[in-house]
Amino acid sequence: MSDTLLLLALNGLIWGLIIALIALGLSIIFGLLDVINIAHGDFFMVGTVVAWFTLQLTGNFWLGFIVAPLVGFILGALIQRIVIQPIRSTAALSIVATFGLSLILQEVVRITFGPTPHRILPPITGTVPLFGIQYEIYRIFAAGLSIAALAGFFLFLQYTKVGTWMRAVRHDRDTAIAMGIPAQRIYILTFAIGFALAAFGGAVAAPITTVDFRGGVDILPFCFMAVIIGGLGNLPGTAAAAVLLSFMEGVIQSTADPTIARIASLVLMSAVLLLRPQGLFKGYVR
Amino acid sequence: MTLRSTIERMLFALFAAFMLSVPWVVPAFVNDFWVNLIAEVLIWSLFAASVNLLFGYVGLLSFGQALYFGFGMYGVGIGIDHLGLSFWPAFGLGITAAVAMALLSGVLAVRLTWHYFAIITVVFSLIFYFLAVTMKSLTGGDDGINFSMPPTFSFGGTVLSFTNQTFQYFFILTTVALCFYLMHRVIRSPLGKAFLAIRDNDVRASLIGLNVYLLRLIAFVMAGFLAGVAGALFAFFGRYASASYMFYHVSGEAVVWAIVGGAGTLFGPIIGTSLFIFIREVVSTRWEHHALIVGVMAILVVIMAPKGLVGLWRDLLGRLDDRETSGNVAKKLRTEP
Repeated sequence: MSDTLLLLALNGLIWGLIIALIALGLSIIFGLLDVINIAHGDFFMVGTVVAWFTLQLTGNFWLGFIVAPLVGFILGALIQRIVIQPIRSTAALSIVATFGLSLILQEVVRITFGPTPHRILPPITGTVPLFGIQYEIYRIFAAGLSIAALAGFFLFLQYTKVGTWMRAVRHDRDTAIAMGIPAQRIYILTFAIGFALAAFGGAVAAPITTVDFRGGVDILPFCFMAVIIGGLGNLPGTAAAAVLLSFMEGVIQSTADPTIARIASLVLMSAVLLLRPQGLFKGYVR
Repeated sequence: MTLRSTIERMLFALFAAFMLSVPWVVPAFVNDFWVNLIAEVLIWSLFAASVNLLFGYVGLLSFGQALYFGFGMYGVGIGIDHLGLSFWPAFGLGITAAVAMALLSGVLAVRLTWHYFAIITVVFSLIFYFLAVTMKSLTGGDDGINFSMPPTFSFGGTVLSFTNQTFQYFFILTTVALCFYLMHRVIRSPLGKAFLAIRDNDVRASLIGLNVYLLRLIAFVMAGFLAGVAGALFAFFGRYASASYMFYHVSGEAVVWAIVGGAGTLFGPIIGTSLFIFIREVVSTRWEHHALIVGVMAILVVIMAPKGLVGLWRDLLGRLDDRETSGNVAKKLRTEP
């Protein structure tokens, strides 16, 4: 019994790290562009599909870790320029536009990839003993990759010139433009990075979950939950909330079925929204 | 009288005449299937109108109206299948369930605004979606409940029920038209003006003495009522109730229909809903990937017509009006009815 608890808790933890990657993209897109991105789950799905195609065409799984975020980055930049930029002023319109985008992405994948889900076998098989249970190596590797990507993103945001620009535009757009920061290019870059992070998450998650054109639909509410519980605009909070939520669902799943676990986290989320709308981790509202 | 109101009056008369003649005119040109399709569009328009009442008139973007639609649906389904109710009590149960749920969740939800409101409405609807999926004995889960249709009216020998397509159409048309008329009256009343004041500036609205919380709650319950009526009608129409109609995608579609048609206008949701459902039905018989067209359409409309199709139409007519009343007259303040 405690073995299943441990297994599900670990699974939850690692899934949470992957979700954190996706939710971070959602959070920066929301924070900088004021876009409520309904298509973000599908960005993740595109990542899993690109990983699958890369594996089929080249026979090399590892290449997917580079190709998926690259494809995501390019698509993200194009989408921002073509779809998001013309409607940038209103969040309500962004919901409709990204809803349309979500339909387009799902349908294009359904045409090219097909309607039936596929599985990717993990490139590393085998298990290692961990806290007394045998645990899949690939999942540990996935956790490592996610942590590396998260760390890389935070370092980029904190220590590079472009990262500083991104924080500046988010903080005060008008002043940033007055200081000569090319806000328009920052918007494109932000959307591209958001897509790339989700697609990278997709490539990492592909061997753990199934590759399916509807794979993003279930991910989306979960990512929004992480963003809200972590506190809108609080990036480390978002990452922490994703891990916490997923870990909690894993623990509950060891005693009840997954739907109950999902309901529990939704109830937790309502409580957070009503009692601490600034998020669990922040002492004040910005 | 402006050109715009003349044209719109004529269009409305045409529209009403068409709606009343659908069961005879439409089968003559296409077939019976289209009568049912128009009835379905009416139901979904009412659902989109519930999103519109909140977003277009009070400024609250709800992403969880499917919850009240689902409660209306299940009220009817459970009422007929488990409790053995006849038509009208089941109808009443569906609407009561939706309104009660809207009141309960509204008390909490309208404390929040904007993004937080959108998220909490989604969260509430997801909670009950997952509950409905789990409680299979009551709700039938994703498979839903199928039930056979009780008669609507029976006087002695004559029985009128939804098995009669023409009766079904007129019942739906009458109910939906009544709801729209009710909404129209509310919006023109002082209550409606208070809604608009809150939409435009909630701080000012509270400073002139409006109880913003209470007014938002009233609007929320009214929107729940509209969604509940739509759900109950849809249950009668399809003879079943299913948890899948409570998923957030259903709410999302209604938001898209309302905004594409024109939020804050009475006819916007009808136009948006008709557009998307007709495209879906016409294209899906010929091409499997009709969602692609719907997606492209949604994006094109928000880029080209950010005020929705009705807004685009009014801008065009407004330009004609301006030309008529030459330049030296001060621009009239544009108010939405």
